[in-house]
Amino acid sequence: MSDRAAAARRRRLVWKGLEAAILLGMLFLILFPILWMALTAFKRPVDLFDLTILFTPTLDNFRTIFGAPWNIGRTLLNSTIVAGLTVLISVPASTLAAYAFSRFEMPFKGALFFTILATQFIPAVVVVLPFYLLFRDLGLLDTHLALVVVNLAIVTPFATWMLKGFLDAVPTESEEAALVDGATRLRVILDVVVPMIWPGVVVTAVFCFILTWNEFLFALILTRDDAVTLPVGITRFRTERGDLWELIAAAGILISIPMFLLASVIQRHFVRGMTGGAVK
Amino acid sequence: MRDRWLKYMLILPAALIVLGTTIWPLAVSLTTSFRDWRLTRSLTPGPFIGPEHYVIALTDDPDFANAAMVTGLFVLFDVTLTVVSALGLALLLRRAGVLQSVTRAVLILPFAVSPALVGISFRFMFNAETGVFTWLAGVLLPPLKGFVWLADPWAALLVLVFSDAWRWVPYMTLVVLGGLAALPKEPEEAARIDGATEWQVLRDVTIPALLPVLAVVAILKTVFALKMFDQVVTLTGGGPGTSTVTLAYLVYSIAFRWYDMGYASAVAWILTALLVFLAVWYMKLILRKPGQT
Amino acid sequence: MAEVILRNVTKRWGGFVAVRDQSLSIRDGEFMVLLGPSGCGKTTTMRMVAGLEEPTAGDILIGGNRVNDLPPRERDVAMVFQSYGLYPHMTVAENIGYPLKLRGIRGAERERQVRAAADKVELGELLHRKPRELSGGQRQRVALARAIVRRPTVFLMDEPLSNLDAKLRVSTRAEIKHLQFELGVTTIYVTHDQIEAMTLAHRVAVMSQGEIRQLDTPEAIYDRPADLFVAGFIGSPPMNLVTGQHSNGVFIAAGGLRAETGVARHAGSAVLGIRPEDVTVAPPDAADLVAQVYAVELTGEAVLVTVIAGGSRLIAKADRAWRAEMGATIGVKLDSRRLHLFDAETTKRLNPE
Repeated sequence: MSDRAAAARRRRLVWKGLEAAILLGMLFLILFPILWMALTAFKRPVDLFDLTILFTPTLDNFRTIFGAPWNIGRTLLNSTIVAGLTVLISVPASTLAAYAFSRFEMPFKGALFFTILATQFIPAVVVVLPFYLLFRDLGLLDTHLALVVVNLAIVTPFATWMLKGFLDAVPTESEEAALVDGATRLRVILDVVVPMIWPGVVVTAVFCFILTWNEFLFALILTRDDAVTLPVGITRFRTERGDLWELIAAAGILISIPMFLLASVIQRHFVRGMTGGAVK
Repeated sequence: MRDRWLKYMLILPAALIVLGTTIWPLAVSLTTSFRDWRLTRSLTPGPFIGPEHYVIALTDDPDFANAAMVTGLFVLFDVTLTVVSALGLALLLRRAGVLQSVTRAVLILPFAVSPALVGISFRFMFNAETGVFTWLAGVLLPPLKGFVWLADPWAALLVLVFSDAWRWVPYMTLVVLGGLAALPKEPEEAARIDGATEWQVLRDVTIPALLPVLAVVAILKTVFALKMFDQVVTLTGGGPGTSTVTLAYLVYSIAFRWYDMGYASAVAWILTALLVFLAVWYMKLILRKPGQT
Repeated sequence: MAEVILRNVTKRWGGFVAVRDQSLSIRDGEFMVLLGPSGCGKTTTMRMVAGLEEPTAGDILIGGNRVNDLPPRERDVAMVFQSYGLYPHMTVAENIGYPLKLRGIRGAERERQVRAAADKVELGELLHRKPRELSGGQRQRVALARAIVRRPTVFLMDEPLSNLDAKLRVSTRAEIKHLQFELGVTTIYVTHDQIEAMTLAHRVAVMSQGEIRQLDTPEAIYDRPADLFVAGFIGSPPMNLVTGQHSNGVFIAAGGLRAETGVARHAGSAVLGIRPEDVTVAPPDAADLVAQVYAVELTGEAVLVTVIAGGSRLIAKADRAWRAEMGATIGVKLDSRRLHLFDAETTKRLNPE
């Protein structure tokens, strides 16, 4: 009996050790690329390929990318404008639509909702071709407007889906109480529904902001100089003189830090983004 | 309920956005795919030529065949790696513990990194000789010392898979963890009392109950893997040769290097058809009662 | 204040009929309870009065006006919901004041009315709390205060006590009854709890499968159930129902049960009903029926004896000091003035009024 207990304990210990080793390995894999980029951002070009982590840190790289000819500040502003406008347009529109989908019956509702959701699976390349030609004809290539329009295509279905998930989880009694108390339907949405799902609205907005901020394909094809956003901006550091890794890393940190902060804010709900509440 | 017109007014803005930003371009791409239109020759669409582009792509274009093959392999490796790792990691992270909570806390980070940036950093880390992962691989497996990852067709594809998995596995782990948390505890406890070993509990109770979630993960990952583009541009550039040219990247090349809008639209639509098929499947899975409130 | 009239109201969802051709008039100031098991259509009926559901057919009148096409806000009704339907982001005062705000009552006047309503349900101290900081009983009071604050013409209450614990339910029940008496507002109250129905109502409408089976005072419903459904639904433990044959004013069932019913006209299969408190334990030689003890349950105030005779079970209520062994043979006596006879086919009551 005690032999069996001892063996069981030993097995458990070995398993615990193995588990810890795997988790540590995973932790390393997840964090190392981020940390390495962060370290590189503070390196002088001479230290770049030195694999030691002991080096003299410098802020020169950040100074360089904000100065001419890189002007990363401009790129940062572009990203903020594009992501901000996209969210400001799509989240209110999606909230109203999600509310209607969640609360009302109507003919073809299933088909309509299905269509809106299915569009998020469509590859961006197929969307961007006609828009490229249209914006070229309209002289809108390389503008914020062009990027906002195409990003709406990606973000709106996501937002509608996420918000419907949040709305479905809210009981309707308070809304009915407000109707009986004397409110019109629009009043109910403003006074009762929006405050109740406000956390969900914030989560959705943040998720869509991250999605737009990191978007690459549209920006690559539709922008050249004036409206370039950060993900395309960093590719500019790959010059004929070679890849300027320390500058790429510095810009990479600049792109990523705000997204890390935003992602942490909505941590608990982050998963909903892609799965729309199908998995909580 | 009342509000006969209001509900349509509520849907209108979002419906207009979707109509204008996806349905319209889809329709235009579809008609363009049946036209001869090279921007190098004409700024306006050329004549309709029937399904010729589709016929060429599917029967007589080595570039398309190659891209389809690359995309297929990429999807296979990427989805397998993601589902297996996410499941394994989620099962390890399910329990309480310091290491577990630390790991859980960092799981959201990779997904917040721009895929384009992921590509570039992996290019840096797998740089010939001086890349940190190149060096690390050489230390762990001495025969790999000095191996130039991005110059080898298979290795470059694997690095591409690795970079994508780096971004997606943690996210999907969170999804699986969510699924695990939603499972009732009683069936597992009943199995333990009935005499099952931990392995049997996992195989006979937990994983079967988790299948719907794993299906969500697999389909979602397949969809995004099929659309693989950003890291191809920033990590491998499609190379070496054309060994990492995915379908999305091929469309981009045809449209913006060779300016053949007709053919690019046709290839894009082949990819779209595949994805819409998957989308329908996926939605059926998660909206078991479509249109239900 | 007004009377509420339903005329041939039907509510259908696709093929499912929730309420079937229902007519009901509720007098001004009356406390009407809609009672029935879940899915019987009682809540749907109330929601149609509120304007939250549209009737498929028929008319709804409040104070003589047809309100079918009016949205809830124009019907001047107040409603207390099962889970209260409070506004979670508003304080108690804001919750109670919201109906007033929507009617353009502002400032000190609104504050005064909110305070008056809150005081009436003893919420005065909690006006600045949010709903999540309140207990279930307190939330329920906020919902009540929000309903009474604007003196509506009709109160609607949808199982308002079902989320309270047993003790609180009893005291709140009395408060609701007192409040309704004091305000004199026409009230429709939905519940599946017969005790609530019996204690609160002026009249009770017992519903099943979308139809009203009996509409009467609580006493009448208890003493003269109109059919087998009402007989079985009202009363706890439920009425004993024994199937047998009836002819020439005598009911006979397997196992030796024989009873004079005083009903002359019915011949054929019938169901005899008798409430447990009308069945007493008696010595076998002076009994209507000799049977075996199946179970003995002490409830505190009495002993419930289940006996088995001829395949059917009968519950009798004995004095709380009474005891018997399982399987013992005892006699039971039926109070012949309290027998209920139902037609086994139509399920309708056969006894004279």
